[in-house]
Amino acid sequence: MIFYLFTILILLLLAPLLLSFIKALKMYLLFKKPVSVFQGYRNFSKLMQKETVISEESSRITRVAPFLVLSPLLVTMFFLPPVVHGAFYVSFVDAFTLTGLISLSTFFLMLLGLDSASAFGGMGSSREAFIAALVEPAMVLTVFSVSMMAGDLGVGQAGVNLAMHFPKAHMASFLFAGISFFILLIAENGRIPVDNPETHLELTMVHEAMILDLTGVYLAIIETAASVKFVIFASLFASLFMPFGLQYAAPAAMLLFVLKLFIIAAAVALIEVNTAKLRLFKVPNLLGIAIVFAFLSLITFYVLGA
Amino acid sequence: MIDFLIGLFLASLIVALFTSRLYRLLFWYSLNSLTLGLLALFIGEELDDKAMLITGIATIVIKAAGIPYLLKYLSQKFHLVRQIQPEIKVQYAIILIPAILVFTFYLSEPITHMIRSGSNDIAVSISSLFLSLLLMMEHKNVAPKIIGFLCMENALFLLGITATDGMPMLVELGIFFDLLMAIVVINLLLHKEEANQ
Repeated sequence: MIFYLFTILILLLLAPLLLSFIKALKMYLLFKKPVSVFQGYRNFSKLMQKETVISEESSRITRVAPFLVLSPLLVTMFFLPPVVHGAFYVSFVDAFTLTGLISLSTFFLMLLGLDSASAFGGMGSSREAFIAALVEPAMVLTVFSVSMMAGDLGVGQAGVNLAMHFPKAHMASFLFAGISFFILLIAENGRIPVDNPETHLELTMVHEAMILDLTGVYLAIIETAASVKFVIFASLFASLFMPFGLQYAAPAAMLLFVLKLFIIAAAVALIEVNTAKLRLFKVPNLLGIAIVFAFLSLITFYVLGA
Repeated sequence: MIDFLIGLFLASLIVALFTSRLYRLLFWYSLNSLTLGLLALFIGEELDDKAMLITGIATIVIKAAGIPYLLKYLSQKFHLVRQIQPEIKVQYAIILIPAILVFTFYLSEPITHMIRSGSNDIAVSISSLFLSLLLMMEHKNVAPKIIGFLCMENALFLLGITATDGMPMLVELGIFFDLLMAIVVINLLLHKEEANQ
């Protein structure tokens, strides 16, 4: 039980650090002077002290929605696969529940964007709905296919099974699911080929457009939610698609897990540096590739058993 | 490990189907050939077949490095069109590709009953044969058609090394010479096309 709570605490603390790490690595690769990796915490504390201004046009939803964006993600953190051997974990939560919780958070984020009554908010919300509708089927298929390979529908139990006895015979479908999930990780977190998290250019923004009107504490909550979402996806990727190191002693396993998270963040940063942002109407093509790979992973598993 | 490489083989071919830039396509072809060469090395080591190790190394040197480099050089020399938009829309390709895969996986079932080991590899190689046919079909330009032809050769090579437990090396080297001849013919073709312009 103590490991369970400790893992969640570590993940929460790491969340802003990972996003700042991506930003710093990108700046370093572009020969800029990199920001500190602790910039996420600084932003958080600065925003917490700032005054919160709410638009006159906005309704009660703006006051409530930031908490409802964060809370499903916080609930999801309790359902992640364990990091340390012998730790407590929730075994019965399946692909549908995880996807549902994440899309619940996205739903409130879209409501928040619409509620700001500015042209940007509605535009951002419609784009987010467009992307989320394509991400969800692929995500359900991918996580479902991995849990079939692990022999248990529960995501937590699947993570343990994969780490304990890895299905070597199903390596091909495992690879396809991994490719699909990595595309989803990029798309759902609004990283570069899908959405640029750094600009406020009206043609390109998706996530930033929805939160343009927020200030102070609410903005801090939404930014925390974004970083928590990244850490959820990264830790799902680490425990489902890099399933090794669970059998080590607790501190070593924990360190290895954190290292895996940083490797994933570095991979995302490398992709961001090396690719241009896709046009919005090209995004379905990328997510279509994710759906093809997810489906392919299921059929290779069922038909070929490979 | 063999399953992983087989998966990578199919994955690189599927990504190549969605590519719209020539050099990116050459990169995916090169990755495809690299996985094929590594597969030949692994299978050769498993069967303790020295000839297959030589073929694997030859595959990596010629197909993964030589031919993509040569094609890049040719495309620069003849100013080939580098933006190769697939004629089949991505939305349709998303439906078409899984359909082809399911179809071929079931199609190859009677064959796989006849063979003891590596039945998955046969299904994957036949499906990648069809996918490279699709790659040839969905482009109008000559360069992607050449890549499609080369991918088809890769698929046949995969079928050869997995289904037969190692062909005679003479046959495999013969295939390599065929491939080099094909590249020479392609070179002549491009010359002629340039003369017509």
